[in-house]
Amino acid sequence: MEQLFDVVATCRISDKEVLVNQESILYHSRENEQDWLSTIYHHIGLQYPKFFKMDRLCKAGILGAELLLKDYTYDHETVKDDWGIILMNAASSLDNDRHYQETISEDNYYPSPAVFVYTLANIVTGEIAIRYKIGGESSFYVMPDFDEELMRELLVQAFNADPKLTHILYGWANVDQDQYDVRMFFCKRRGNIKTSINNPS
Amino acid sequence: MEELIYKLKEEIIDVLNLEGMKPEDIDENAPLFGEGLGLDSIDALELIVLLEKNYGIKLKNANEGKEIFKSVRVMADYINEHKTK
Repeated sequence: MEQLFDVVATCRISDKEVLVNQESILYHSRENEQDWLSTIYHHIGLQYPKFFKMDRLCKAGILGAELLLKDYTYDHETVKDDWGIILMNAASSLDNDRHYQETISEDNYYPSPAVFVYTLANIVTGEIAIRYKIGGESSFYVMPDFDEELMRELLVQAFNADPKLTHILYGWANVDQDQYDVRMFFCKRRGNIKTSINNPS
Repeated sequence: MEELIYKLKEEIIDVLNLEGMKPEDIDENAPLFGEGLGLDSIDALELIVLLEKNYGIKLKNANEGKEIFKSVRVMADYINEHKTK
Protein backbone atom coordinates (compact mmCIF):
# COMPACT_ATOMS: atom_id res chain seq x y z
CA MET A 1 0.00 0.00 0.00
CA GLU A 2 1.30 3.44 -0.87
CA GLN A 3 2.40 5.41 2.13
CA LEU A 4 -0.05 8.31 2.45
CA PHE A 5 1.82 10.36 5.01
CA ASP A 6 5.18 10.96 6.66
CA VAL A 7 5.78 11.46 10.35
CA VAL A 8 7.63 14.76 10.66
CA ALA A 9 7.98 15.03 14.44
CA THR A 10 7.66 12.82 17.51
CA CYS A 11 7.62 13.47 21.21
CA ARG A 12 7.41 11.44 24.37
CA ILE A 13 6.65 12.55 27.90
CA SER A 14 7.04 9.95 30.63
CA ASP A 15 7.32 10.33 34.39
CA LYS A 16 11.07 10.54 34.06
CA GLU A 17 11.98 12.16 30.77
CA VAL A 18 10.95 14.25 27.79
CA LEU A 19 12.10 13.21 24.32
CA VAL A 20 11.66 15.11 21.09
CA ASN A 21 12.42 13.26 17.88
CA GLN A 22 13.92 10.53 20.09
CA GLU A 23 16.41 12.93 21.68
CA SER A 24 16.19 13.54 25.40
CA ILE A 25 15.61 17.21 26.25
CA LEU A 26 14.77 16.99 29.96
CA TYR A 27 15.10 14.57 32.89
CA HIS A 28 12.78 14.67 35.85
CA SER A 29 14.73 15.69 38.92
CA ARG A 30 12.95 14.93 42.18
CA GLU A 31 14.75 17.92 43.71
CA ASN A 32 12.60 20.24 41.65
CA GLU A 33 9.72 21.46 43.80
CA GLN A 34 7.49 22.29 40.86
CA ASP A 35 5.23 19.65 39.44
CA TRP A 36 6.61 17.82 36.42
CA LEU A 37 4.31 19.39 33.82
CA SER A 38 5.05 22.92 35.06
CA THR A 39 8.76 22.11 34.95
CA ILE A 40 8.42 21.11 31.29
CA TYR A 41 6.34 24.24 30.57
CA HIS A 42 9.06 26.51 31.95
CA HIS A 43 11.90 24.51 30.42
CA ILE A 44 10.56 24.88 26.89
CA GLY A 45 9.66 28.55 27.40
CA LEU A 46 5.98 28.15 26.62
CA GLN A 47 4.00 31.38 27.14
CA TYR A 48 0.37 30.37 27.56
CA PRO A 49 -1.24 31.46 30.87
CA LYS A 50 -4.32 29.32 30.19
CA PHE A 51 -2.08 26.28 30.69
CA PHE A 52 -2.30 26.77 34.46
CA LYS A 53 -6.09 26.59 34.42
CA MET A 54 -6.10 23.19 32.72
CA ASP A 55 -6.30 19.70 34.16
CA ARG A 56 -3.24 17.46 33.89
CA LEU A 57 -4.44 15.65 30.76
CA CYS A 58 -4.87 18.92 28.86
CA LYS A 59 -1.55 20.23 30.16
CA ALA A 60 0.17 17.07 28.91
CA GLY A 61 -1.57 17.34 25.53
CA ILE A 62 -0.64 21.00 25.12
CA LEU A 63 2.98 20.25 26.03
CA GLY A 64 3.05 17.36 23.55
CA ALA A 65 1.65 19.56 20.78
CA GLU A 66 4.09 22.35 21.62
CA LEU A 67 7.04 19.97 21.50
CA LEU A 68 5.89 18.66 18.12
CA LEU A 69 5.27 22.05 16.55
CA LYS A 70 7.83 24.39 18.10
CA ASP A 71 10.35 23.92 15.30
CA TYR A 72 7.81 23.48 12.51
CA THR A 73 7.13 26.39 10.16
CA TYR A 74 3.40 27.03 9.86
CA ASP A 75 0.82 29.78 9.87
CA HIS A 76 0.27 30.69 13.53
CA GLU A 77 -2.42 33.29 12.85
CA THR A 78 -4.97 31.54 10.64
CA VAL A 79 -7.31 28.69 11.57
CA LYS A 80 -6.03 25.67 9.69
CA ASP A 81 -9.02 23.69 8.38
CA ASP A 82 -6.59 21.26 6.74
CA TRP A 83 -5.07 20.09 10.03
CA GLY A 84 -6.67 17.40 12.19
CA ILE A 85 -6.20 15.78 15.61
CA ILE A 86 -6.60 12.11 16.61
CA LEU A 87 -5.75 11.12 20.18
CA MET A 88 -6.23 8.04 22.36
CA ASN A 89 -5.77 7.14 25.99
CA ALA A 90 -6.77 4.53 28.58
CA ALA A 91 -7.59 6.63 31.64
CA SER A 92 -10.03 8.93 29.85
CA SER A 93 -10.52 11.95 32.16
CA LEU A 94 -10.40 9.84 35.34
CA ASP A 95 -7.56 11.91 36.82
CA ASN A 96 -9.66 15.07 36.78
CA ASP A 97 -12.93 13.21 37.51
CA ARG A 98 -11.38 12.03 40.76
CA HIS A 99 -10.26 15.57 41.57
CA TYR A 100 -13.75 16.92 40.85
CA GLN A 101 -15.31 14.24 43.04
CA GLU A 102 -13.05 15.31 45.91
CA THR A 103 -14.19 18.93 45.53
CA ILE A 104 -17.86 17.95 45.84
CA SER A 105 -17.45 15.42 48.66
CA GLU A 106 -17.39 17.96 51.49
CA ASP A 107 -20.51 19.21 53.23
CA ASN A 108 -21.77 22.50 51.80
CA TYR A 109 -19.48 22.11 48.83
CA TYR A 110 -19.12 24.63 46.04
CA PRO A 111 -18.60 22.89 42.71
CA SER A 112 -15.85 24.45 40.64
CA PRO A 113 -16.85 25.18 37.03
CA ALA A 114 -13.16 25.34 36.11
CA VAL A 115 -12.60 21.78 37.35
CA PHE A 116 -15.90 20.46 36.00
CA VAL A 117 -15.20 21.56 32.41
CA TYR A 118 -12.31 19.07 32.22
CA THR A 119 -14.38 16.02 33.19
CA LEU A 120 -14.36 14.83 29.57
CA ALA A 121 -11.32 13.26 27.92
CA ASN A 122 -11.81 14.87 24.51
CA ILE A 123 -11.46 18.38 25.96
CA VAL A 124 -7.72 17.91 25.37
CA THR A 125 -8.29 17.87 21.59
CA GLY A 126 -10.28 21.10 21.92
CA GLU A 127 -7.57 22.80 23.97
CA ILE A 128 -4.94 21.81 21.38
CA ALA A 129 -7.21 23.00 18.55
CA ILE A 130 -7.70 26.39 20.25
CA ARG A 131 -4.02 26.91 21.06
CA TYR A 132 -2.71 25.96 17.61
CA LYS A 133 -5.72 27.12 15.56
CA ILE A 134 -6.46 23.67 14.20
CA GLY A 135 -9.86 23.71 12.52
CA GLY A 136 -10.11 20.29 10.89
CA GLU A 137 -11.68 17.10 12.23
CA SER A 138 -10.69 15.87 15.66
CA SER A 139 -11.44 12.65 17.49
CA PHE A 140 -10.56 10.98 20.77
CA TYR A 141 -10.64 7.24 21.56
CA VAL A 142 -10.50 5.53 24.92
CA MET A 143 -8.62 2.23 24.47
CA PRO A 144 -6.96 -0.28 26.81
CA ASP A 145 -3.56 0.32 25.18
CA PHE A 146 -2.01 2.40 22.42
CA ASP A 147 -3.10 0.38 19.37
CA GLU A 148 -0.67 1.63 16.75
CA GLU A 149 -2.23 -0.46 13.98
CA LEU A 150 -5.68 0.99 14.67
CA MET A 151 -4.16 4.47 14.78
CA ARG A 152 -2.53 3.93 11.39
CA GLU A 153 -5.91 2.82 9.97
CA LEU A 154 -7.57 5.91 11.42
CA LEU A 155 -4.93 8.14 9.86
CA VAL A 156 -5.35 6.52 6.45
CA GLN A 157 -9.13 6.81 6.71
CA ALA A 158 -8.88 10.45 7.74
CA PHE A 159 -6.56 11.37 4.87
CA ASN A 160 -8.69 9.44 2.37
CA ALA A 161 -11.98 10.86 3.62
CA ASP A 162 -10.91 14.49 3.55
CA PRO A 163 -9.00 15.55 0.42
CA LYS A 164 -8.02 18.87 1.93
CA LEU A 165 -6.49 17.39 5.08
CA THR A 166 -2.71 17.93 4.99
CA HIS A 167 -1.51 17.41 8.59
CA ILE A 168 -2.61 15.36 11.58
CA LEU A 169 -1.41 15.63 15.14
CA TYR A 170 -2.01 12.20 16.68
CA GLY A 171 -1.00 9.76 19.37
CA TRP A 172 -1.46 8.59 22.92
CA ALA A 173 -1.94 10.95 25.88
CA ASN A 174 -2.52 9.07 29.10
CA VAL A 175 -2.42 10.79 32.48
CA ASP A 176 -3.47 9.37 35.82
CA GLN A 177 -2.31 11.00 39.04
CA ASP A 178 1.45 11.41 38.64
CA GLN A 179 1.75 8.82 35.88
CA TYR A 180 2.39 10.36 32.49
CA ASP A 181 2.55 8.47 29.23
CA VAL A 182 2.41 10.82 26.25
CA ARG A 183 3.48 9.55 22.85
CA MET A 184 2.48 12.11 20.26
CA PHE A 185 3.30 12.46 16.59
CA PHE A 186 2.83 14.99 13.84
CA CYS A 187 2.38 13.76 10.30
CA LYS A 188 2.05 15.38 6.92
CA ARG A 189 0.30 14.05 3.83
CA ARG A 190 2.87 12.82 1.35
CA GLY A 191 3.27 14.45 -2.04
CA ASN A 192 0.58 16.13 -4.09
CA ILE A 193 -2.77 15.99 -2.32
CA LYS A 194 -4.80 15.12 -5.43
CA THR A 195 -2.35 12.39 -6.42
CA SER A 196 -2.58 10.77 -3.00
CA ILE A 197 -6.34 10.84 -3.00
CA ASN A 198 -6.69 9.63 -6.58
CA ASN A 199 -4.24 6.78 -6.02
CA PRO A 200 -4.83 5.64 -2.47
CA SER A 201 -3.14 2.26 -2.91
CA MET B 1 -11.93 49.35 51.14
CA GLU B 2 -8.26 49.14 50.07
CA GLU B 3 -7.82 46.11 52.33
CA LEU B 4 -10.79 44.38 50.71
CA ILE B 5 -9.45 45.19 47.23
CA TYR B 6 -6.09 43.62 48.08
CA LYS B 7 -7.75 40.51 49.59
CA LEU B 8 -10.02 40.20 46.57
CA LYS B 9 -7.04 40.34 44.22
CA GLU B 10 -5.40 37.51 46.19
CA GLU B 11 -8.58 35.45 45.99
CA ILE B 12 -8.95 36.06 42.24
CA ILE B 13 -5.34 34.99 41.61
CA ASP B 14 -5.93 31.86 43.66
CA VAL B 15 -9.28 30.71 42.23
CA LEU B 16 -8.44 31.58 38.63
CA ASN B 17 -4.91 30.08 38.77
CA LEU B 18 -3.28 33.27 37.47
CA GLU B 19 0.22 31.80 37.53
CA GLY B 20 3.04 34.18 38.35
CA MET B 21 0.71 37.11 39.05
CA LYS B 22 0.81 39.15 42.25
CA PRO B 23 -1.95 41.43 43.64
CA GLU B 24 0.20 44.42 42.69
CA ASP B 25 0.05 43.33 39.05
CA ILE B 26 -3.72 43.77 38.90
CA ASP B 27 -5.06 47.26 38.22
CA GLU B 28 -8.22 47.46 40.33
CA ASN B 29 -9.76 49.86 37.80
CA ALA B 30 -8.99 47.80 34.69
CA PRO B 31 -11.64 45.59 33.07
CA LEU B 32 -11.47 42.00 34.32
CA PHE B 33 -12.71 40.62 31.01
CA GLY B 34 -11.58 41.34 27.50
CA GLU B 35 -8.49 43.50 27.49
CA GLY B 36 -7.81 43.49 31.25
CA LEU B 37 -6.90 40.11 32.68
CA GLY B 38 -8.32 38.40 29.60
CA LEU B 39 -10.67 36.20 31.60
CA ASP B 40 -13.21 33.90 29.94
CA SER B 41 -16.73 32.62 30.65
CA ILE B 42 -15.53 29.81 32.92
CA ASP B 43 -13.61 32.38 34.95
CA ALA B 44 -16.86 34.37 35.29
CA LEU B 45 -18.53 31.29 36.76
CA GLU B 46 -15.63 30.85 39.18
CA LEU B 47 -16.05 34.47 40.31
CA ILE B 48 -19.76 33.84 40.92
CA VAL B 49 -18.78 30.85 43.08
CA LEU B 50 -16.20 33.02 44.89
CA LEU B 51 -18.85 35.63 45.77
CA GLU B 52 -21.11 32.96 47.25
CA LYS B 53 -18.45 30.92 49.01
CA ASN B 54 -16.41 33.75 50.55
CA TYR B 55 -18.99 36.51 50.96
CA GLY B 56 -22.38 34.76 51.04
CA ILE B 57 -23.58 36.65 47.97
CA LYS B 58 -25.88 34.72 45.64
CA LEU B 59 -26.40 36.33 42.26
CA LYS B 60 -29.99 35.96 41.07
CA ASN B 61 -28.90 35.64 37.48
CA ALA B 62 -25.55 35.37 35.75
CA ASN B 63 -26.16 38.57 33.77
CA GLU B 64 -25.67 40.57 36.98
CA GLY B 65 -22.04 39.54 36.71
CA LYS B 66 -21.56 41.78 33.68
CA GLU B 67 -21.93 44.86 35.89
CA ILE B 68 -20.32 43.46 39.04
CA PHE B 69 -17.22 42.10 37.33
CA LYS B 70 -16.36 45.30 35.45
CA SER B 71 -13.26 45.72 37.59
CA VAL B 72 -11.87 44.64 40.97
CA ARG B 73 -12.93 47.97 42.47
CA VAL B 74 -16.53 47.62 41.23
CA MET B 75 -16.55 44.07 42.55
CA ALA B 76 -15.23 45.20 45.94
CA ASP B 77 -17.92 47.92 46.13
CA TYR B 78 -20.60 45.33 45.44
CA ILE B 79 -19.19 42.96 48.06
CA ASN B 80 -19.04 45.75 50.63
CA GLU B 81 -22.71 46.49 50.04
CA HIS B 82 -24.10 42.96 49.81
CA LYS B 83 -21.89 40.60 51.79
CA THR B 84 -23.60 38.37 54.37
CA LYS B 85 -20.46 36.85 55.86
